Amino acid sequence: MWSVSDDALVAGLAAGDQDAASAFVGRFQRRVFGLARTIVSDDRAAEDIAQEAFVRAWKHAGAYDARRGSVVGWLLTITRNLSIDAVRVRRPIAFDPYVLLELDAQSDERLPEDLAQLSDDTTRLRAALTQLPEEQCRAVVLAGLLGYTAREVGEMEGIPLGTAKTRIRTALIRLRAALVTEGHDS
Amino acid sequence: MNCAEARDLAPELALGILGGAGRAEVILHVNGCARCQANVAEFTEVADALPMLAPEAEPSAGFEDRVLAALDAPKRSNRRRWISAIAVAAAAAAIVSITLVRVAESGDTARTAAPARSATPVVATMIGGASGQPAGWVSVAESRAVTVAVDYGIPVGTYRIQVRPERGDVATLGAMNVDPSGRGFWAGNSDLPLRTGTTIALIDDSGEVMCHGTLGNPQ
Repeated sequence: MWSVSDDALVAGLAAGDQDAASAFVGRFQRRVFGLARTIVSDDRAAEDIAQEAFVRAWKHAGAYDARRGSVVGWLLTITRNLSIDAVRVRRPIAFDPYVLLELDAQSDERLPEDLAQLSDDTTRLRAALTQLPEEQCRAVVLAGLLGYTAREVGEMEGIPLGTAKTRIRTALIRLRAALVTEGHDS
Repeated sequence: MNCAEARDLAPELALGILGGAGRAEVILHVNGCARCQANVAEFTEVADALPMLAPEAEPSAGFEDRVLAALDAPKRSNRRRWISAIAVAAAAAAIVSITLVRVAESGDTARTAAPARSATPVVATMIGGASGQPAGWVSVAESRAVTVAVDYGIPVGTYRIQVRPERGDVATLGAMNVDPSGRGFWAGNSDLPLRTGTTIALIDDSGEVMCHGTLGNPQ
């Protein structure tokens, strides 16, 4: 029924359109809930966070700017920030980025047109992540996805702060190279 | 902060894992340095893509209905609560102002709060926006150098940056443009030293407070 673009759905949200809201939630709920669950490791808390993320998106849809990024990127950033706030006080975790992100898994499900392009980016990024040295992969996932500070990454990994910062920086540079050099420099 | 220091912190800024004071210092530099701005933008491109790597998962049955029920609440209800809270605060401030004027007129010497003078900037969260949530931050260094940034929940437009001291007159520092993505930045100096307890607020054309932050003790 709703084959409209992600941008159009957000425009519908901004206008207070209930049908657009329903389609928006239906389209993104698995991604939003999946990200929240990945970060907080608790289904009930993840659902609360996912719900709040949709409420925030609904309230601030008018401020969304397509020039600054995709709809799903915007929505997942909201979700990530809410999730990190929810687990602000936490202990070091037993952590395997390959298990956490299911880096070996393949998904062949059909996606809406806008997400298909993003899925290509995600596929490239996922592949690039698996090619990083394990310590860089761990550092960038801890900091970039789970929200640990460089100091916390250093403490968890048992390395000096400077080494943690270097691992994070190097990983980001390599991941960006994978995004840009494979025909996606925008 | 120089370019080398800013570039050292650029990945952490892009990933959103820098603390308030460090973040304020880097942003202050980056906003005046095109090369460092480009450097941060490159890291941000990757940082924004990382959450997409999380595996999808199916929430429990009825999740979509619960979300839609939550969205069904009036979109601006929080805003109304926020306006009410501001109105109460404004009324309280008015009472304080009247009291202070009378104290001043009677020749009493009011005790003043300490200036927010610190080598480390004093940083406060700006609260407000449509949902009454953190909307950005304000930083004051050496009691006069003010930086205000918002990045969440403030509608596009131009806002006055107003200083509301605990005691004394309200003053306007300047104006900030907030872009369609909800981001805005302003840096400048206050003629008067800003003391702890002073509130910095963004005011829209109608005089409504969109968000505000109150300076605490130096961090």
